[in-house]
Amino acid sequence: MRIATAKETYIADEGLLVTSTQRAWMGVLLAMLVLAPFVLNQYWLYLACLVAINVASATGLNILTGFTGLVSLGQAAFMAVGAYTVAFFEGQVGTPFLLNILAAGLVSALVGVLVGIPSLRVKGLYLAIATIAASVILHFVFTHWVSVTGGVRGINVAPARLFGLELASPFALYFVIVPITCLMVLGAANLFRTRIGRAFIAIRDRDISAEVLGIPLLKYKLMSFALSSFYAGVAGGMWAYFFRVVTPESFPFATSIFFLAAVIVGGLGTIIGSVLGAAFMTLVPELLKYVVDWLAPIFPNAGAALSPVRTIVFGALIILFLVFEPHGLAEMVRRARRFFHLWPFRT
Amino acid sequence: MTSLNRRQIMGLAAGAGLASAFPGFTAYAQEKEIVIGGSIPLTGVFAFAGVAIEAGMSDYVKLTNEAGGIAGRKLRLAYEDTAYKVDTSVAVFNKLTTQNDIHLYYGDSTGFAKTINEELNRRGTILMAGASFGSELNNPEKYPFQFMAGPDYVEMFAILLEYIAKAQPGAKLVFVNSDTEFGRDPIEASVKRAKEMGLDVVAQIVTPPTAVDVSTEVLKLRRANPDFTIFHGYVLAPLPEFMSQAKQLGLKTKFMGTFWSMDNSLWANVGAPADGFMGVMPYRYYYDTSPDAPILEKIRKLRPTYQATGYMQGFLTAMLMGEAAKRTLEAGKELNGKTLKAALNSIKDFDTGGIIGVPISVPGNSVPVGRIYQFNAADKQMKPASDWISLKK
Repeated sequence: MRIATAKETYIADEGLLVTSTQRAWMGVLLAMLVLAPFVLNQYWLYLACLVAINVASATGLNILTGFTGLVSLGQAAFMAVGAYTVAFFEGQVGTPFLLNILAAGLVSALVGVLVGIPSLRVKGLYLAIATIAASVILHFVFTHWVSVTGGVRGINVAPARLFGLELASPFALYFVIVPITCLMVLGAANLFRTRIGRAFIAIRDRDISAEVLGIPLLKYKLMSFALSSFYAGVAGGMWAYFFRVVTPESFPFATSIFFLAAVIVGGLGTIIGSVLGAAFMTLVPELLKYVVDWLAPIFPNAGAALSPVRTIVFGALIILFLVFEPHGLAEMVRRARRFFHLWPFRT
Repeated sequence: MTSLNRRQIMGLAAGAGLASAFPGFTAYAQEKEIVIGGSIPLTGVFAFAGVAIEAGMSDYVKLTNEAGGIAGRKLRLAYEDTAYKVDTSVAVFNKLTTQNDIHLYYGDSTGFAKTINEELNRRGTILMAGASFGSELNNPEKYPFQFMAGPDYVEMFAILLEYIAKAQPGAKLVFVNSDTEFGRDPIEASVKRAKEMGLDVVAQIVTPPTAVDVSTEVLKLRRANPDFTIFHGYVLAPLPEFMSQAKQLGLKTKFMGTFWSMDNSLWANVGAPADGFMGVMPYRYYYDTSPDAPILEKIRKLRPTYQATGYMQGFLTAMLMGEAAKRTLEAGKELNGKTLKAALNSIKDFDTGGIIGVPISVPGNSVPVGRIYQFNAADKQMKPASDWISLKK
């Protein structure tokens, strides 16, 4: 049971980690992240990097959809803008890796602001449709602006280089992708301790009331779009260095649905929800493959016969979460924490 | 539902997920075996082909092992579903190559082939082929450890153009392609080639990949009034709709397609509107009873029902991989990307057991051979409309 955690200052009240237990667990997590590349094999490192990229993008979408209440189905297109920016700067300009990643975020943020302009007039499903339309336009640009995007064949990206080292393998890329994602998640968590973050939440809860309170809606909505797109752009940039080829088909519309599903399954309006949701959506289909491996000795031709079943099970798991835990995985974590706060008493 | 039940259910779900991650049951490579790895799309939009490809590769492995394996080693196919997603295909590649000693690999798409190419070059231990016939991959300098078991898309068009140039010199053509990397692949090069062959490409029509209503495109086709209309970048839709509307408008144009549009069962289900549809096929069909096709006879014994064109593609890909491995081991060399590719390129006038009706060679990254087939709606079968056409480099 947790006792003696009374907060005596406003700063303490806003703290991200307020108890020694929380700080200890965060230390354990960070230690695990540092040790992981020396323990995991190439397959798991690949998945760790992919999860980190998806966490970055899902966190961005959660800022927009979960915290500001603006539904977007354009996250994949914003990632694509970031990926193409990196591919262009790496191939045509030759600027360094970190600058390219930053440029990916900034260019995507700019595009995000343009796409976000209709958000003052439309919201909900209408805004979702507007973001889909923007995705279609961007896809057209990726396909037809051949001199910059390489057209349908896309662009091959040279390996990232940092301090003279070539970052070509998942092992090497882990050391840049995971820290960047950690910084972005930390930034998002801190955002909601500021006036800007609280303005986003006020807009989500009731935009008219927020305006009455003195929050300029257009400015903050566009800011939310810009931040969300910045996250997507950086994620897309890391994706480009990770997969080393960008084509118009690298970021299909289904990817936007993937990220929306990730933030819903993880928990809308929670930072930990973005992390858990992206990890869940990326890892569960992979983990389910082990079930197929188990059944291989007793089920003839298990790989071919059970793959469709695996897809159905994954879909059913998502539905189960939505039905039994509508607040997402974040709520499960909260409940587990509450259990230990009060242990040995029951909630 | 009480909270206790909810916890139990979620706990079970989480437990199942964690338990499934335990890799204790994973099969590891055994000594004296040759493992073919595979990122194969068993679900998703390309599952129709992936399932057939897996069946073809598995049957080749089975038949080879029954005949004693390759240079005394058993073959094994280790594959996983990719759902036709590049990131999943790469995950499968990393997983399988971590768990097995793999020197031969099957990839599921052009996107995957391009993405994994740098890794193949870096490792230098694997020879890869796959479901893609992308012309970009037919470049031994850029893709030194890859090949395709058939002609690339530009070569498929070249085979069609060669047929047309002979059947109707100076014919008027229209190219219809989907607005995808797959669809656009051969168009530019083929327009140029058609011109060189004295054929006239009077129009090019681009449609969305999932186009349903094609009435405006059919009107464009009527204005162009071509002798031949060649589709590319589709599997089936919107071809039947195109052909039905064109016939209603009285157009006499002959419709043609490329490999992935050539499965017999697809057109058998379409029925009468499909009558006369032609296209290029690098392989014989399952039901071909030509006397020089003993492998097809064996396949029919193994699988009494019709097997799709993807089956033949998978079977021949595995066969060429097996042949490259055999030649490498017989030469006393170790299996790696360089030795396997050199062995593959040494294949000259090779008898495929009738899967392809002529002896084949693999001079670069492709097998530039094909034949024109035409669908006969009365018999519900694709029938040969030409002899085998081998492209000269």
